[in-house]
Amino acid sequence: MKDASAKFDIAGLDLWYGQTQALKKVSMQVGANSITALIGPSGCGKSTFLRVLDRMNDLIDGVRTEGKVLYDGQDIFNGMDVIELRKKIGMVFQKPNPFPMSVFDNVAYGPRVHGTKDRRELEEIVERSLVNAALFDEVKDRLHKSALGLSGGQQQRLCIARVLAVEPDVLLMDEPTSALDPISTAKIENLLEELKRRYTIVIVTHNMQQAGRVSDWTGFFLSGELLEYAPTKDIFFNPRDPRTENYISGRFG
Amino acid sequence: MQTRMHFIEELARLNHDVLSMGARVEEDLRKAMEAMKTQNLELAAEVKADDELVNALQLKIDDQAAILIATQQPVARDLRELVTVLKVTDNLERAGDHAVHLAKAVKRFTGEPPFRQFEALERMAQTGCTMIRGAVAAYLNHDAEEARRIAALDESIDHEHKALVKEVLELMKDRPEQIERAVKLLTTSGFLERLGDHMTNICEAVVFMVEGKHVELND
Repeated sequence: MKDASAKFDIAGLDLWYGQTQALKKVSMQVGANSITALIGPSGCGKSTFLRVLDRMNDLIDGVRTEGKVLYDGQDIFNGMDVIELRKKIGMVFQKPNPFPMSVFDNVAYGPRVHGTKDRRELEEIVERSLVNAALFDEVKDRLHKSALGLSGGQQQRLCIARVLAVEPDVLLMDEPTSALDPISTAKIENLLEELKRRYTIVIVTHNMQQAGRVSDWTGFFLSGELLEYAPTKDIFFNPRDPRTENYISGRFG
Repeated sequence: MQTRMHFIEELARLNHDVLSMGARVEEDLRKAMEAMKTQNLELAAEVKADDELVNALQLKIDDQAAILIATQQPVARDLRELVTVLKVTDNLERAGDHAVHLAKAVKRFTGEPPFRQFEALERMAQTGCTMIRGAVAAYLNHDAEEARRIAALDESIDHEHKALVKEVLELMKDRPEQIERAVKLLTTSGFLERLGDHMTNICEAVVFMVEGKHVELND
């Protein structure tokens, strides 16, 4: 995609873990209000790439990056406050990781950290976030009970609600349903479809079928390179690169 | 919470195109018969132009169905529906071609005196239109009973066709100078007869979609 209004504009991105190059000259644009799926075999660089977008790799020793990553036209490595960046860009991980506190306090955690103290305001944020994460009806009678008592699928939606509570702009998801059963997965996938109206979503998934089902654009990574990036229907119906075709049709290596 | 909303919406969009394709083919058949009745070459030319749109719709629907199969992994009834839609478009496209054949025949009948067998052709075309509309509706409504009812109409087209063949053969024997004209009539009737078969194919596909079993309607 070539779009001046792209949410992310990445150009010539290289990343090394020490001596090992994990990303090689990755260039892509991520459209606003769309779902972009990143697929590829283990170790291909897709999760590393995802973690570039909110600078989570900063936390890892020996990581060096080159190239440009613009978020809303701003260089994320140059002159951007990383705390602000991560407030705008929420992350949902593979394994649901609720805090060992009540459902309410989980969702209110972010807004509290960012300075919201008013009880009523917090209640509103919590309810709105849970509604938007399609979880409210299931937990409204147990808001003040431990979040650890929820099912895995509910916990993952709670984590999404927790991210939504700080009113982000982008949701990054690293294998958000790989620990969930098919019904919980379907609920999350459906939720993504709703959420993309308000957020930009980038999702890393090992589940190619999921990429096909939920995303608008798909990027195929192999050995640190972005081999093919195109509308999902093109990737799954008529990919250009034979290596993409081999991977998605299960004939890889 | 409704799941698989994206798939359901895309399928609805696809089926809307199927409805348009069916309506267009039905309209083309109607126009072709009208052109033949009034010897209107302009109207006949319209049918040929319309058929391009029918063909384009088939490609669009087929590609979209393939994309849904590739990206949405439909199973069970959803998968049968997408397999069925490919048969629906294939047979509608062939029916559209038969409408074009009729439109082309208009030229061959131009300047000839009206023939009384035309009424039989008109009745066949009328039933053909009903079958097109009914077969597409049965598909869209997942209605196997309607599919069976519509397929049964093919019998009346076959009956008309056979009667017409018999009559025309007699004509050929008695008046050999009419043979050329008689052959044109037989060919035209043949197009309509096959159109009925194509709609029967759609009805069979609909029964498969709904009930998951292959049936032969109108043996």
